[in-house]
Amino acid sequence: MSRNFYPELVRVDALDKVRGATKFGTDNRPDNLVHGAFAVATIGKGRVISIDTAAAEALPGVVSVITHRNTTSLKPAQFLMGGGFAFQTHSPLLTDHVAYRGQPIALVLAETLEVAIDATAVLQVSYEEQPFAATIDNPLAEPIAQAEAPMRYPLEDISVGDAPAAYEGGAVKVDSTFTMERQFQNPMELIGTVAAWEGDRLTIHEGTQNAGGCKFGVADQLGINPDNVTVISPFIGGGFGQKNSMQSQLVLAAFASRELGRPVKIVVPRRQLFHDATSRPATRQRVRLAANRDGRLVGALYDVDAQTSKLDFFPAEHADTAARFYGYPAFKSFTRLIRTDIPTPGYMRAPFEHATAFAIESAMDELAYKLDMDPIELRLRNDTAVDVVSGLPHSSRHVAECLRRGAETFGWSRRDPTPRSMFAPNGDLIGMGVAIGLYSGSGGPTRARITARRDGAVSLNVGVHEMGQGVLTAITNVVSKRLGIPASAITATVGVTSGVPQPLTAGSWGSASAVPATEAACDALMKALAEAGVDISASLPLGEMVARTGAGQMQVEASSVAPGQELQVLGRTDTGRVAPAGPVYPGFVAFSYAAHFVEVHVEGSTGRIRVPRVVSMFDCGRVLSPRTARSQAIGGVVWGIGGTLREGAETDARYGGVMNGDIAEYLIPVNADIGSIEPGFIDEPDFQVNRSGVKGLGEVVMAGVAPAIINAVYHATGIRVRDLPLRLEALLKPQA
Amino acid sequence: MTMNHEKEVIADTGGLSRRDVLKGGTALGVLSVAGFGTQSLAQAAVPSLPMAFRTEVEVAFRINGAQTALALDPRSSLLDVLRDQLGLTGAKKGCDHGQCGACTVHVDGRRVAACMTLAVQVDDLDVTTIEGLAEGDVLHPMQQAFIDHDALQCGYCTPGQIMAGVACVREGHAGSPQQIREYMSGNLCRCGAYPGIVAAIEDAARVMEG
Repeated sequence: MSRNFYPELVRVDALDKVRGATKFGTDNRPDNLVHGAFAVATIGKGRVISIDTAAAEALPGVVSVITHRNTTSLKPAQFLMGGGFAFQTHSPLLTDHVAYRGQPIALVLAETLEVAIDATAVLQVSYEEQPFAATIDNPLAEPIAQAEAPMRYPLEDISVGDAPAAYEGGAVKVDSTFTMERQFQNPMELIGTVAAWEGDRLTIHEGTQNAGGCKFGVADQLGINPDNVTVISPFIGGGFGQKNSMQSQLVLAAFASRELGRPVKIVVPRRQLFHDATSRPATRQRVRLAANRDGRLVGALYDVDAQTSKLDFFPAEHADTAARFYGYPAFKSFTRLIRTDIPTPGYMRAPFEHATAFAIESAMDELAYKLDMDPIELRLRNDTAVDVVSGLPHSSRHVAECLRRGAETFGWSRRDPTPRSMFAPNGDLIGMGVAIGLYSGSGGPTRARITARRDGAVSLNVGVHEMGQGVLTAITNVVSKRLGIPASAITATVGVTSGVPQPLTAGSWGSASAVPATEAACDALMKALAEAGVDISASLPLGEMVARTGAGQMQVEASSVAPGQELQVLGRTDTGRVAPAGPVYPGFVAFSYAAHFVEVHVEGSTGRIRVPRVVSMFDCGRVLSPRTARSQAIGGVVWGIGGTLREGAETDARYGGVMNGDIAEYLIPVNADIGSIEPGFIDEPDFQVNRSGVKGLGEVVMAGVAPAIINAVYHATGIRVRDLPLRLEALLKPQA
Repeated sequence: MTMNHEKEVIADTGGLSRRDVLKGGTALGVLSVAGFGTQSLAQAAVPSLPMAFRTEVEVAFRINGAQTALALDPRSSLLDVLRDQLGLTGAKKGCDHGQCGACTVHVDGRRVAACMTLAVQVDDLDVTTIEGLAEGDVLHPMQQAFIDHDALQCGYCTPGQIMAGVACVREGHAGSPQQIREYMSGNLCRCGAYPGIVAAIEDAARVMEG
């Protein structure tokens, strides 16, 4: 949109990135480096009886082979959502236990990568196998009601009013069940570590969204003082949630490096990331909606089965999202966790909101057809200013504005709602669909440091990570405007634990945490200048003001916390813990919103689906960096297209593991899959949620794309798809 | 295997066919590289490798215009040699299987996946990486266009996208947005910067074809 509060700033790290000059974690190559490669388990579950390493160790260039027999000094990792720092509780190579197929069982260290990889193939391994369940439908899978699961942060089911009775009494009803296969984040940068010791000090180069968690986590596992660990993650080649915590290879790289007295580099191959890292869990969702004939919802019942591992209870927060879509007078949820023998699932962009929006907003479209009502009108009639769960007001909720502006930009009025009624010149069926999405407006404790020099240069150091979302550009833009200095005078550093603490950047709370802290640091700087006797109202250049203090530079630090948080909560992020707040704050509830409008073209005889056009409107609070926000929004829609039409892991129920475990077989969108994507922003700040007015963008951009596509496919074909990913055969099956 | 034999094979194939290079008796070792992670190979009893296989191979090529000579493990991919031995870390490892394009470089002006190119294949050839694209401080038009259209987010696939984009234009495959999309579909961008990438290539094509 043209009337943004903040100016269009060129991505500050683009110049280095187009020259290939940006150093990612495993681009680092200290002298005397040893390369590591994993051998992985070829059974679905059980234990390692023996590993004969003789042939591997005999290969010229092999330095060492590490198995569980060598790692007894290491402490096991603890699950991020169990009070620890790692993606799961289980640590490969620390015991003989094989929890899932593809789990690392040995680490070969060699002078070259070629030798290391070669040596993994000559290890002789024998196992004791145990029965296992790799899928949620397996008889050995173990369902448990989430409300009864022994979780560190328990999640209750939601119950508002008498939803079963309201549903039974409704005039028009929908009762549909939706399934979704596991999906994998697949950031382009592989997970990997370069670990090096200097005396008792450990330096880790790793692309991670959580440098602080890695620092404290690896120190804990090694049994060393975290003050002796520096984690360096200034740029991440995409995270999308998979790099939000300590990964399996980190402690092993650090351990091997200490044992060998040489730097160690481990780059985890793509296939292994499908087998020893997180995924979006498989889900089965049943949605029951009941409405009056005028379209007003009277009750909703929402049941979720979400996959977890037998190692940890991965919290399923689908219901917390589902309950916020509309002003249901009555709502009831029931969530089960299905324990299976896979790595613990985790957070993948819009971790619950993608699946939840698919179910709720598909069901709303079904309801609209049953009511013979325009789906936008149905949504407007059920919009709400109040959160039905807490009874608190929404701090800001521009859903209606997103729908109206989106409809106008998209040309919704041209749509004939009858299925199979619109055709492209080449004969393809045209479908148009709409859906909304939402995501918690979260924030958390963050520190920022600002250094102003008399030559006018300003350095920023903030607790946040740059993973492509453009946070460096956003904080530069904010500081430039606030201090009245050119962006070119500002250098921002993030993701390095030797400066201010580096808490987990995820959950769309990055900018909503980092920017308030950065603004606070700017204010602290001006206050310090005033206290030094400088007339800060005199509109002097910043460098001149610093010069007038007589010092060469002035450095201040500030922090911010989310509404309702005490300052002491900074102690949590200072020690690598996760401490976000939201969406429920004292006195209000905050969410970001999206409205997506999708046009699909379906080739009649093959069912091939194209998505030539998407228009999306976002209510994310203040837009800090129009250019990078636009790119992030486009990317989120691309994710929605992939997450609907392409992405699904094929789990091998017989042997365990993911059969399509690479990015030729697990399909992510390619350039030819993507047409026109036109994002727009409401750009209304929400100053209740934080001083910067930011509600968060990175996740909501994906939420709701799936049902908008599915609804468009229904409009095009008359076929209601309830299983993702949507494969062509779903459109070729004879319809009942 | 001798150097001479390697050179013969490369001469036969224009230096770019992986399959033909494998005829030189290196299939076993290369398979164990390419097949890493596949369970059947990991468990098979692999016979000990012939001693000749471990011999280093002298390879000489031009990298970004500068002549270089290296003694290489014949199994080394061009990507690992660029990154680990020459310190050219602009080309990225995203899959190591030729699936993602993050390692795209030019060999004698053609775009190749450096992870699927054995380093010995480039003997006597010209290799250009992202580090060799700009003329000093003057960016290549494709690099500038990527900045102008914000055709990147995390930047990890960007060097490969740019090298592929330059080749796409030179091949004459940048005639329309639709053609660009097709000919750039070997380069994955998980951040989803595709619309910007297409716009950047259209723009750069106009400048390059001036």
